Amino acid sequence: MTETKPQVALAVRNLNFYYGQNHALHDINIDFPARKVTAMIGPSGCGKSTLLRIFNRMYDLYPGQRATGEVLFDGRNILETGLDLNILRARIGMVFQKPTPFPMSIYDNIAFGVRLHERLNKADMDARVQDVLTRVALWNEVRDRLNAPAAGLSGGQQQRLCIARSIATRPEVLLLDEPTSALDPISTARIEELLDELKEEFTIAIVTHNMQQAARCADQVAFFYMGRLIEVDTADRIFTNPRQQQTQDYITGRFG
Amino acid sequence: MSDMTTSSSGWAPNANGARRRRMDRLATLLGMVAAGILVLVLTSILWTLLSRGITGLSAAAIMKPMGPPGSGGGLANAILGSLIQTFLALLIATPLGLGCGIYLSEYGNRQNRFASCVRFVSDVLMSVPSILVGLFVYQILVAPFGHFSAFAGSVALAILAVPIIVRTTEDMLRLVPIAMREAGAALGATRWRVTLFLCLRSAKTGVLTGILLALARVSGETAPLLFTSLGNQNWSFSLNRPMASLPVTIYQYAGASYEDWVQLAWAGALLVTMGVLAINIAVRLSARRG
Repeated sequence: MTETKPQVALAVRNLNFYYGQNHALHDINIDFPARKVTAMIGPSGCGKSTLLRIFNRMYDLYPGQRATGEVLFDGRNILETGLDLNILRARIGMVFQKPTPFPMSIYDNIAFGVRLHERLNKADMDARVQDVLTRVALWNEVRDRLNAPAAGLSGGQQQRLCIARSIATRPEVLLLDEPTSALDPISTARIEELLDELKEEFTIAIVTHNMQQAARCADQVAFFYMGRLIEVDTADRIFTNPRQQQTQDYITGRFG
Repeated sequence: MSDMTTSSSGWAPNANGARRRRMDRLATLLGMVAAGILVLVLTSILWTLLSRGITGLSAAAIMKPMGPPGSGGGLANAILGSLIQTFLALLIATPLGLGCGIYLSEYGNRQNRFASCVRFVSDVLMSVPSILVGLFVYQILVAPFGHFSAFAGSVALAILAVPIIVRTTEDMLRLVPIAMREAGAALGATRWRVTLFLCLRSAKTGVLTGILLALARVSGETAPLLFTSLGNQNWSFSLNRPMASLPVTIYQYAGASYEDWVQLAWAGALLVTMGVLAINIAVRLSARRG
């Protein structure tokens, strides 16, 4: 399907992951092409979220969780000890399943992350806030109440704010963990449109339970089952003519 | 299943059902009686306090310092002494209690032995009789220096306030969803930043409530002040000297045989109660706003 081999943003090599004694991911090898959307699908507990949380070392928050193997990002194995996690997380942003607005104003929700990594004067910060809010199509809805608490926004607006917050630190990769599963269909559609625009600039990895969503948004789809990567291919191929029987069964709803 | 739908006596009342309904009514009645007694006792206390206290609560009682019986003395120095000592106690207890509560919630998970010890000690401290705290502070801050002091009184009150602040801070921080901590970390924020600017901020109302509850708790304490700040008939602004306080004054005046002192004791009791009531209302309001 792809004529030219795209540049790879994240390269996963022989990755294994353990929750204590529980071996959750087995020998994962997968490339995430730059400025493309890769969707990860599979039944609950198959390890797709686990994989996502490796890319920004989220698992470091929890003792007993560990990864072996390699995840290459910009020439470095991000699993190395001694890697600056705060820089890594500025370069690889994440949006979670449930919108998590911080207990502060809409403006400060975005400025919070930016201030961690950059010193901007007021005008530059204002411009950055307007820019990211415009890109998530939220600017017109909130321009008059930037100083109002973010908790007052609707669920869909909150999630778009969270995406704006993530891209405000100018990451290269955006990780989305079921970003629309708590949203209504209209909010979901808006976020899917957004992904289409965002992928011009960011490499996107999205975990989703929604097969149509994966088909609509993704360039590449990876199917996981019981901690193993069963198949990865272009979205067209996975949804029309998968190589593996298990993939076929899952996308047609015969199990999972 | 099928005879249930065809049974003609399926809806007939049975003995069991009647008994259950009787028990239900009895339980409701018992609960209402208990609640009624409680309200009666409380209103009786408040009524007595109000009717006896209001006559003594004159401008002079609030404006004038204590004096000998029959001299028309007031409570002004005791009111100010109470304010100074409880304020200082909070000043000491708040940073300690907050820090400890943050440690227990953010760093002291169940496997952490030290944190479990701290949590246990703090809980024990919450139920230690306050007179013991007074004696303890007497031993370390009064006996070695050879004199009573307002500072010692504040420390005793602070010791009583700390465990309350620790517990509410820990509980409130634990209510902050993990998702908030992860979202902060995912932006590249360090742990202390996440704790201070995200977690503590979203738990703000609850934590503030804890501090106000601690204030309400210590503002009526008498026993810990008896051996520490002692009480004082005169104006005193020195933390290094004995200082008057409302609860101790009530204790001294209520048992006196002078009519005007007893009157002032009632007025003082009313003042303390109104103060605590005001704090509790403030807690309610802040909880509703938050």
